[in-house]
Amino acid sequence: MKKTAFLILSLLFTSFVFAKTIKTCATCEVKTLGDAIALAESGDSIFMQKGTYYESDLLIDKSVKISGEKGTIIDGKNMSGVIIVNTQNFSLKNIEIQNVAVSYIKDNAAIKINNSENFIVENVTIQNVFFGIMIEKSKKGIIRNNNVSSNIKDEASSGNGIHAWHCSELEIYNNEVFNMRDGIYFEFVENSKIYNNNSHNNIRYGLHFMFSNHDEYHHNTFKNNGAGVAVMFSKFINMYRNKFIYNWGTASYGLLLKEIYDAEIYENTFEENTIGINIEGSTRINYNNNIFRSNGWAIKVRGACYLNIFKNNDFLHNALDVSYNSKLNDNLFENNYWSEYSGYDLDKNGMGDVPYRPVKLFSYVVNESPEALVLLRSLFIDIINFSEKVSPIFTPDNLIDEKPRLKPINDFN
Amino acid sequence: MKKPFIVIVFCYLLFLISCSVSPEEIRYGSDQCAYCSMNIVDKTHASQVVTSKGKQYKYDAVECLIHHIHDEELANTELAFILVTDYNNPGTMTQAKEAHFLISKNIPSPMGANLSAFKNIEAAQATQQENGGEIYNWETINEKMRLKK
Repeated sequence: MKKTAFLILSLLFTSFVFAKTIKTCATCEVKTLGDAIALAESGDSIFMQKGTYYESDLLIDKSVKISGEKGTIIDGKNMSGVIIVNTQNFSLKNIEIQNVAVSYIKDNAAIKINNSENFIVENVTIQNVFFGIMIEKSKKGIIRNNNVSSNIKDEASSGNGIHAWHCSELEIYNNEVFNMRDGIYFEFVENSKIYNNNSHNNIRYGLHFMFSNHDEYHHNTFKNNGAGVAVMFSKFINMYRNKFIYNWGTASYGLLLKEIYDAEIYENTFEENTIGINIEGSTRINYNNNIFRSNGWAIKVRGACYLNIFKNNDFLHNALDVSYNSKLNDNLFENNYWSEYSGYDLDKNGMGDVPYRPVKLFSYVVNESPEALVLLRSLFIDIINFSEKVSPIFTPDNLIDEKPRLKPINDFN
Repeated sequence: MKKPFIVIVFCYLLFLISCSVSPEEIRYGSDQCAYCSMNIVDKTHASQVVTSKGKQYKYDAVECLIHHIHDEELANTELAFILVTDYNNPGTMTQAKEAHFLISKNIPSPMGANLSAFKNIEAAQATQQENGGEIYNWETINEKMRLKK
């Protein structure tokens, strides 16, 4: 018993003594990060003094903690990727990485993390890259407080900001990602969280899920992307308290849902998007307490959507609230506030006494021939909408909000 | 006397332009996939179909094209062009029916099928040697993708 205790203590002690810090700088004994890693043993720290280091495809396969002084830049000289990590218990912080080569065949990244576990990447500024941070077949990683951007000339020659593929238990928060293809991309990623990020001005999506289950994202802002967020072929995704703002263009969405099941979408704000949420083939999704403000379409349902519930949402001044492309409705709208509702409340219970029909005939016409949109504000359209409201023929008969609210209910600032 | 002639020529030209059945260039970054609604950005995997009436369909991945042409919407439509990107020449299209296809776990494609197309068999084999995977032709890849669905 005593012996083992002694052994453990001495082991701890030796590891404490021998864990050293290696310094690098232009005038130091160790001049490059590559040399420092060659010298380092697992558990060591590497401190980079300020200056520009040139590295490309540098492999880090030891459990080291790398940090930099303010002004530490690692430049890939547009040769290839910059850092490749393949290890456990690794951290990288307080440095800048720049100039990664664009390639169609190879996924060059500023930081590529491969088959790793327990890692942290923080306070890293990444500029002028193809892929920013790429994580493959890894788990238990934290990516926080980073700033990832590129300066795209050709739209298709950009990579993703933070790209995770076949990973689990990741946490991605407080990052700013812009001017990339997708800000954050999850492909086959499980049990992970994305929060407090600001993903803006990306070519395709602010955030993109593909074949990923049991994840959540919240308190993020997605502004001015090709489309805000796309969640595709995924199950059990929680989405709450996000802002989808100004994702504007001929085919832009705040949120694109395709083939997803069992999701929760609540307390989000959708503001000034061409389409707030575009829904296709999505089932058992609850939409609660969201705000849809000044979108072209608040919600566009494009078929094969079943057992969805829309409750307690605020629809404020959207050109079209809900659009359907079929006569079938298997979704429930209840207790929402609709700014276009013109009913009355005689019993003063806060709910309108006549139901509201959110699908206008005109949205039907636009589905058939999009060019008809130029007629949006014309008298003729008002007349056909009114006649449809009085006696519905084209719009789904049971698509009504039986108890629309008379006042908006949500306020998330 | 001259004016009607010009009008006729103009109309004829308009007729020619409006009836030409040929593939339109893909505008990467702004065109949308006709099957999965994603923006097309990947120059190595984009593909397209033109019907014999000239209607254009563009896809971000070969797997989208294959699923779509077997869908109700296109299954009974005559197709003038079925084109896929030659993986080794990003942005260049080649005839799908003569192409060779590689499914390799090491080359991800936009919609998860890990499927890339090659103009000639040698290029496909070279890539296969480097990355592993299996090679298909147009018929077998269709079978494979449809069974998968």
